[in-house]
Amino acid sequence: MLMAVKNQLRVCLLSVKYNIMREMLNKVTFLTNIGFMMLNNATFIVQWVILFGLKDDIGGYAMGEVMLFWGLAASTYGLSHILFARAFSLPDLIINGKLDSYLVLPKNVLLSVITSSTNTSSIGDFLYGLLIICIFAFRVERLFLFLLFSVTGAVILTAFALLMGSLSFWFVRSEMFGNQMVSSVINFSTYPDGIFKGMARFILYNIIPVGMSIYHPVHVMVHFDAKSLLTVLGYTVLLSAAAVFVFYRGLRRYSSSNLMGARL
Amino acid sequence: MDAIKAENLSKVFRVKQKEKGMGGSLKAIFHPRTVPVQAVDGISFTVKEGEILAFIGPNGAGKSTTIKMLTGILYPDGGNVEVLGINPAKKRKQLAYQIGTVFGQKEQLWTHLTPYDNFRFFGAIFDLPDAEAEARIRELSDTFELGAFINTPVRSLSLGQRIRCEIVASLIHKPKVLFLDEPTIGLDPVVKENIRMLIKQMNKEFHTTVFLTSHDIGDIEKLCKRIVIVNSGQIVLDDSMEHLKYHYLNKKIVEVKLQEEAALPRLSGITVLKEKGSRVKLEIDTTIIKINDALRQIDAEHVEDINISNIPLENIIMDIYKAEEAESAV
Amino acid sequence: MRKYAVIYRSVLLEHLQYAGNIALGFISYFFIIFVLIHLWEYMYESPDELISGYTKVQMIWYVMMTEMIWFGARSSSVTRQASADIRGGNIAYLMNKPYHYTLYILAKYTGEWSIQLPMFAVLSSIMGITMVGKIPGFHLLTLLAAVPCIILGITINAVFKLCISLLSFWIEDSNPFQWLYDKLILVVGTIFPIEIFPAALQPLLKLTPIYTVCYGPAKLIVDFGTGKYVEILSAQILYLFIGCVLMFFLYAKGVKKLYVNGG
Repeated sequence: MLMAVKNQLRVCLLSVKYNIMREMLNKVTFLTNIGFMMLNNATFIVQWVILFGLKDDIGGYAMGEVMLFWGLAASTYGLSHILFARAFSLPDLIINGKLDSYLVLPKNVLLSVITSSTNTSSIGDFLYGLLIICIFAFRVERLFLFLLFSVTGAVILTAFALLMGSLSFWFVRSEMFGNQMVSSVINFSTYPDGIFKGMARFILYNIIPVGMSIYHPVHVMVHFDAKSLLTVLGYTVLLSAAAVFVFYRGLRRYSSSNLMGARL
Repeated sequence: MDAIKAENLSKVFRVKQKEKGMGGSLKAIFHPRTVPVQAVDGISFTVKEGEILAFIGPNGAGKSTTIKMLTGILYPDGGNVEVLGINPAKKRKQLAYQIGTVFGQKEQLWTHLTPYDNFRFFGAIFDLPDAEAEARIRELSDTFELGAFINTPVRSLSLGQRIRCEIVASLIHKPKVLFLDEPTIGLDPVVKENIRMLIKQMNKEFHTTVFLTSHDIGDIEKLCKRIVIVNSGQIVLDDSMEHLKYHYLNKKIVEVKLQEEAALPRLSGITVLKEKGSRVKLEIDTTIIKINDALRQIDAEHVEDINISNIPLENIIMDIYKAEEAESAV
Repeated sequence: MRKYAVIYRSVLLEHLQYAGNIALGFISYFFIIFVLIHLWEYMYESPDELISGYTKVQMIWYVMMTEMIWFGARSSSVTRQASADIRGGNIAYLMNKPYHYTLYILAKYTGEWSIQLPMFAVLSSIMGITMVGKIPGFHLLTLLAAVPCIILGITINAVFKLCISLLSFWIEDSNPFQWLYDKLILVVGTIFPIEIFPAALQPLLKLTPIYTVCYGPAKLIVDFGTGKYVEILSAQILYLFIGCVLMFFLYAKGVKKLYVNGG
């Protein structure tokens, strides 16, 4: 059992390593992609400088703290797209029958699929997040928390993408809807939660997983609170379990019903 | 022992139907109409260990669907499958350790890595310890003469070398059965020949059972001892290559060019296919008349040119497809 | 000219089939506006307060209009497809056709937004009226007057984006430059009106394409003025001219390079 887990991890790490090596073939493109993505993210600092010029606090946060939202959102997005980029294009794999080649290998299908590609510019996102935290809100223990929450956030985002992508097992045309739901997570996570009230707040904490991937973690980084930390960890495990469950239910459907005429 | 055993295997797909126009599109959203399509319709066959079997048929005949059911990608709707005594639908992972698959042009190699690194990667997937993987790579490299390019990135290899590596990569874990879905599709004749040699050699050296689908008659003729033809989801022929040839190749085509027009004797067993001036094309049924008896009917003195040939296998198979279609049309 | 009209028409008809998908694209727009409404609700102490000369309702409508233009004119023809044509070598076949490649792309692009933009316009108007309320002093005539500005704005945007794609003749991946251009337009012209920036910067910003792409049309819708109208229209025509010159120049240079180096 332990051996199987070890072998599985080894294959996943090799996949990620080879993916990144492939992207590095053209060094100039690789580096400009990363560099420009960081620059690209940095343009939003302008937005916050302007907004803080109008008001001293936004949603109850100061500039440095709002940057925590941005930083964590960037590195969460980055990490999930470095390691699990394929989870975000699951509908394409399902609809076009591209899961077949993973089904004939003796390894975990889900892990093999999601680690099978990477996204270069995401490295820029991840580094940008780290840079932001170091510039605007550096504390050693905060950096550790930040790294931990980048991991939980990346897992939550990937799990959510899997849940949305798995809809394609049942509804062929759900790709667009799913993609938009996933990108909405990023959209919401770059604004402080204090500006949302009532219904909006409810949705962000319960339906779109921004609350647990970004808002709670930022609260913990600002004022450490063990209970919130454990809540986030628990939520991460629960959402992942749900995603794995739904994916495998869908996979069973993929193997048995095959609505897709193209795969005849 | 049987490596593959399929009994009454069947699979139905539900294909969405859409009526024409905007109204049809709207209707399809709320009441999708699906039509069942019987992709595989109760087929049974066995493949013996160490055998090379050609599984052929026209497009949409159910070849790919069958291969997918044999490898555990698709679950059958009815019937039983056993590959090496394992039910693919139930124990897909366990089976995966013992079979190899090469699906047509879908590339499984990392193109920026060398074949060696690729083989190591597949070694890791199949849980081979480092020492064992090394030894196996050396063995495969020697057997299939990969030494010259084993350390060149795959993207710099020629197409032929690349496909060789694709197939060899699927052998890293010593599979007992290898499934090849259209392995030579889109390749030039030289590369095709090269790949056929490799498959043959592999079968001989490692006693690997090979289940091969192909459109290419050459693949079948040169590789297989047994042939299964499917059409519309059913097996229309399951025969040994030798028997097929004997059975269908008892007709000879004789093309003669004479110096002058001459009337040919009408004997039973000789059919005139074409007659144009001094050129004649005959079909001789050797079960009715011996070939030497038939040739004696031609005035040898006036023969300018003569050509005797077998009916190409391609035509035979086409005839089998057509016969099947004509039958189902009735 | 007629052949471009035919290209336009066929793309239009093709995209009509995806109307459902385009409408689904509104989800993203909805979420973005949803966030921005909450943001401005928080920023304004009272509805009558003026920030850089905009009331709360005007500010939100401004953002809705710029985002509508942004989303309605979204297209991969001028960006991803154009650079893929160039990098993938497909350009060799397209440039020998009896049309100008860049105009062909622009005709396609126009066919795309002809469906997208009106759909977004209707959906976002409904969203605005129900969630924010009507624009004070809005007149149907202002909308009519603003339409040419909107069309010019998105065409200028496409010309510039196509220019960036044409860089693919020389560089491996022009995407990073697209992001940067997008972000510039987004941060400086889309989520804020230009007036919100420090007074010293404003004349400088008015010189950039931002002024003609997003700011101009949206400003006219929320706060119409004849003087402003003439000013924006003439700036747009000037920009379109500059953009086209640049586009034809880059294309000619790129094709020349292709002939010399053989792709």
